[in-house]
Amino acid sequence: MIGRSFVVSKLKTIRISLQLQLQFGYLDSRLTMKIPKNKKQQKKEEAGKINETLGRIGQQLAQVADNSEDSSSDSDFEVVDNESLSEDEGSISESGMEQSEPSDNEDVVVSSDDDNNDDDDVGSAGDGDDRNGDDTSNSSEVDGGESDDSREVVEESDSSEDEVAPRNTVGSVPLEWYKDEEHIGYNLAGRKIKKKERQNKLDSFLASADDSKSWRKIYDEYNDEEVELTKEDTKLIRRLLEGKAPHADFDPYEPYVDFFAWDDSKHPLSNAPEPKRRFIPSKWESKKVLELVRAFRKGRIKFDDKPKEESNLYDVWADDSSLTERQGLTHIPAPKFKFPGHEESFNPSREYILSQEEINAHQLLPEEDRPKLIPKQFMFYRSVPAYEKAVSESFGRCLDLYLCPRARKKRINIDPETLKPKLPSRKELRPYPTTCYLEYKGHKGPVTSVTTESTGQWIASGSNDGSVRVWEVETGRCLRVWDIGEPVLQVVWNPLPELPLLAIAAGQDVFILNTGLGSEEEQKKIEELLCVETPTAPDDSDKNASFISWGPDDKHGGVRLKHFKTVSSIEWHRKGDYLSTLMPYDILSPNLNFIYLLIHTHLIGIRHCCEAFCLLSLCFCSFLNSLKRESRSVLIHQLSKKLTQRIPYKLRGLAVSSAFHPIRSIFFISTKKDVRVYDLLKQKLIKKLEPGVREVSSIAIHPSGDNVIVGSKDGKLVWFDMDLSSQPYKVLKSHEKDINKVSFHRSYPLFCSCSDDCTAYVFHGKVYSDLNQNPLIVPLEILRGHASAEGRGVLDCKFHPRQPWLFTAGADSVIRLYCH
Amino acid sequence: MDIGGGVEESSRQVQVRFVTKLKPPYKTPPTSLAIPTNINRWRLSDIVNNILGAGVDDWQYQPFDIVIDGKYLRVSLEEFLLAKGISAERVIEIEYIKVVAPRREDISLHDDWVSAVDGSSDGYILTGCYDGLGRIWKDTGICTHILEGHTGPITSVCVIKPKVEGAFDQLVATASKDRALRLWKFDAGKSAQPKKIRAFKILKGHNAAVQSIAAEPSGEMVCSGSWDCAINLWQANGSDAGGDIVSVKKRKKGGGDEEPQSEGAVVSTLVGHTQCVSSVVWPQHETIFSASWDHSIRRWDVETGKDSLNMFCGKAINCLDIGGESSTLIAAGGSDHIIRIWDPRKPGKYDPIFQFSGHNSWISSCKWHNKSWFHLVSASYDGKVMIWDLRTAFPLGVIDSHKNKVLCADWWKDDSVISGGVDSKLCVSSGISVE
Repeated sequence: MIGRSFVVSKLKTIRISLQLQLQFGYLDSRLTMKIPKNKKQQKKEEAGKINETLGRIGQQLAQVADNSEDSSSDSDFEVVDNESLSEDEGSISESGMEQSEPSDNEDVVVSSDDDNNDDDDVGSAGDGDDRNGDDTSNSSEVDGGESDDSREVVEESDSSEDEVAPRNTVGSVPLEWYKDEEHIGYNLAGRKIKKKERQNKLDSFLASADDSKSWRKIYDEYNDEEVELTKEDTKLIRRLLEGKAPHADFDPYEPYVDFFAWDDSKHPLSNAPEPKRRFIPSKWESKKVLELVRAFRKGRIKFDDKPKEESNLYDVWADDSSLTERQGLTHIPAPKFKFPGHEESFNPSREYILSQEEINAHQLLPEEDRPKLIPKQFMFYRSVPAYEKAVSESFGRCLDLYLCPRARKKRINIDPETLKPKLPSRKELRPYPTTCYLEYKGHKGPVTSVTTESTGQWIASGSNDGSVRVWEVETGRCLRVWDIGEPVLQVVWNPLPELPLLAIAAGQDVFILNTGLGSEEEQKKIEELLCVETPTAPDDSDKNASFISWGPDDKHGGVRLKHFKTVSSIEWHRKGDYLSTLMPYDILSPNLNFIYLLIHTHLIGIRHCCEAFCLLSLCFCSFLNSLKRESRSVLIHQLSKKLTQRIPYKLRGLAVSSAFHPIRSIFFISTKKDVRVYDLLKQKLIKKLEPGVREVSSIAIHPSGDNVIVGSKDGKLVWFDMDLSSQPYKVLKSHEKDINKVSFHRSYPLFCSCSDDCTAYVFHGKVYSDLNQNPLIVPLEILRGHASAEGRGVLDCKFHPRQPWLFTAGADSVIRLYCH
Repeated sequence: MDIGGGVEESSRQVQVRFVTKLKPPYKTPPTSLAIPTNINRWRLSDIVNNILGAGVDDWQYQPFDIVIDGKYLRVSLEEFLLAKGISAERVIEIEYIKVVAPRREDISLHDDWVSAVDGSSDGYILTGCYDGLGRIWKDTGICTHILEGHTGPITSVCVIKPKVEGAFDQLVATASKDRALRLWKFDAGKSAQPKKIRAFKILKGHNAAVQSIAAEPSGEMVCSGSWDCAINLWQANGSDAGGDIVSVKKRKKGGGDEEPQSEGAVVSTLVGHTQCVSSVVWPQHETIFSASWDHSIRRWDVETGKDSLNMFCGKAINCLDIGGESSTLIAAGGSDHIIRIWDPRKPGKYDPIFQFSGHNSWISSCKWHNKSWFHLVSASYDGKVMIWDLRTAFPLGVIDSHKNKVLCADWWKDDSVISGGVDSKLCVSSGISVE
């Protein structure tokens, strides 16, 4: 209904001018307003009243005419006049005149209407009734005619809409007012327009179903007719519904025509000069400021400089968390108390009072589990005694405060994973030895040493059972066994492939044996090389010769170097001609020993006489001792000339291990505490490396010669970069027990350490030719498999010279080969 | 016809048809039968035996292996069908073949480790031993000839022109750690006592232990790989003429040799390997394959002396063989427990197409079967000899008769596996039916 009425009203606005419509509507409404009401009153009585009111209107009009001076009041008058006219005649010409001045009139009419509301009402009512009475008299006849007319009009409107004028003059009153009436309003002539006969709903539905145009037919309640919308109408409605302008040819987005000629305005619109007041300070402002200043001086204006007093109340139950930030990090909030409950009342309810059994049960509990408070009942508050623990608790609190730490312990929250160095994954660093595939079994005692031939075809091993064995790497076959007779401490294969010689340290002897693995020509050379004349009697004049004797070894067919002390370690020079031997233990010669003992006993005898002298002598003695020790513990033998040299350097401490530099003529000697690096050509100490470990057990030199690893008896592996400093580049604490041996691979970037904890560790140790880049050390693999024997684990480890394989010699008399 | 259905009613059934390539006594009627899916290969073998033995009175039980769609059945039939996505709706063709497993094992004792064995000649077995002697075995336990002369352990042996059948002039070659190769000629006729023979030709030229030897298919040449990283080619023909001409300067040094022995010199050397050449194979006239401890497998062109293929495989290789599908696949084993098989026909790809890991230790030997495209025998230091089929990842058979490392293995007479090891035994496992 709303939609329809909306559409109809829209249509109306288009068809006729709004003003006209309103005008008539207003008038009509005035007339019709009272009609339904008055209908129930007696008509005859009111006929007289109408006359009265008409007369009153006339008077009022006259008054208005007198009072009004302006022209505007003229219209007022006219309107009222119109009113009366229209009531009387309702001529169209009059309404057409009204159209010329629409809005003003309307307003004024309303105001006047307000002023004389009652009178108008009465008057109009009278008019309406009057006419009603007329109409009703001939209603039956007129109704029929009127209705016919209206029907015709409707039909006409269907055919030619533009010409149709509104027939109903009832105005914009609610149509409900006419709901019960037989007419719908009044035509221009003031006649009633009869309601049309309603079609039966069923019929209308059928008709609408038949009629293909029924969807565009609209029932106009106002005029009581059906309107069929044309295509233009539907288009217009659609546009309105879309929120566009009703006319299609209206363009809301017309380009804005800027009519002002901006381009030519070189000069300001006003050519007047700036007024002077823009440049001088304001007189009134300065006066005001002066006034304020005076007021301040005289104290008429005061500042409220006191801060507002904050309340000293403390919210006991407030949440302390917000306060912590204000009081800084050192603030430690007091512990929270539980809210007091009923049981803490001086007179709690019965159910809180404990029975004697419960109290006894509490007594059985351990003290820390007992409840702190046992509720007690007092009849009066005044009978509550003082808190018995007041003193002790306040003392405790004082102690708490006194002992409370005043500084907060700082804890750094770091993910330990992030502290780990970024290392490449092990997969990228392949190949390296991982799995044990081959075992070389045959020794009867712990295998102390293993050594590889330079091509990697054979290995040799020495054992505590006094045998030296040569093995075929590929099959694990033992090719040769020598029985030395003494526990073999070390076996070293000559680095030259054409000299398959073995240097064996056993007891005080060093044997150089021919393995017989070379070709016939090589064998001949070796035989020539190992040909030694019978040992000459030790010449006392030559000190060197007195310590070492070169002689043929009849039993095994090699050379035998008799040392004066137990040889612990031997090392070949890379050229295979020189051989260094180490005698770490108790190096003193018998002569010196004797002297030392003599002095010692002598000193004991005279100790009580002069202690100072004693100390001095001891110092001298130890100096003598060290002097002799250094010169003899490390020897270098030359195989081709059968010569032995001493190292002319001083050593402090027992020599443990020695090594030749793989490229240059540099010699490394490690004592228990440090590693000394000597230049053999210049005969001087180049460097002293300080591993900072308890006891050095072995050293190994990187094939490039600039890096040294040191294994220690406290399980640490220390990497030195010779270019960096005498301090370790890296210390790897990996083994639980003593490291027995460390070793570098000749070609792969691998090194390893073996220990008494029956494991061997394999590391990736890449040294870059770029001096700016530090060596990369990555632990790769822990090789297990050896069994412990008499507290010893893996005694020696050596890499295969060409494959990434590792040989380990164990105290369980087995040599294992770990392959990649 | 419902055979297995009575066993378990609950399981699902499939329609199968048994097919075989075996000869008539083992042929089944081509009818399809319904069998439950939850049975394994042993039950299937039983079913086949039941069918075969139905008409025969004294049927001897014959174990069969089951092949479906070219794959060995190693799990239950149901799992296999599910894993391979074979529809249980259609009739499944089940091929049965004789189980590839040795029936009999015979042992011939040596004096020392048996390091090399060659069974390419059907008439005899050639073995090399760590005592420096080569031996010719007519059959198990019957040694006809002892090849005497090497001063070091024999590392590799090969039969030259094995296919020439004839009692006379059998030609074999041995390589030894004494840096020399020796060619031997013997009469394959029977003799009661082991006959000691000497080499007719000594090939010297290697600077280190010779590790492997292989003969050209036509038997004219021999190549050898050695610890001196070189592969040497030698003239192998029986006539002394070729050897004499080039061996003049050798003769000066090796003058101590006996009269009938001549020395041969290197015809050509293939240089390229950087470490010990552990294995050489000469499958065709113009190509030699070699494997080395420098982690590479190379294919050499004999004419030009250049390597036409250089395959890096990451492990030190101990053994190599060419065979399989149209004799092109490379099988190799080395310093780990995996046997790898490459297809060199795939260009640019050096990933192994098959990997067999059943051993626990180094692979010491692997050999393709002469006739079959699928069968392979391998020996390992874990003391086991395994027979493999490319169609399954599991070993078909495991010969566990050696107590220690097995150093060599080979096929013999197409149905036997011969292997020698550290326990000084030559083990002949016969009765292996490879179709």
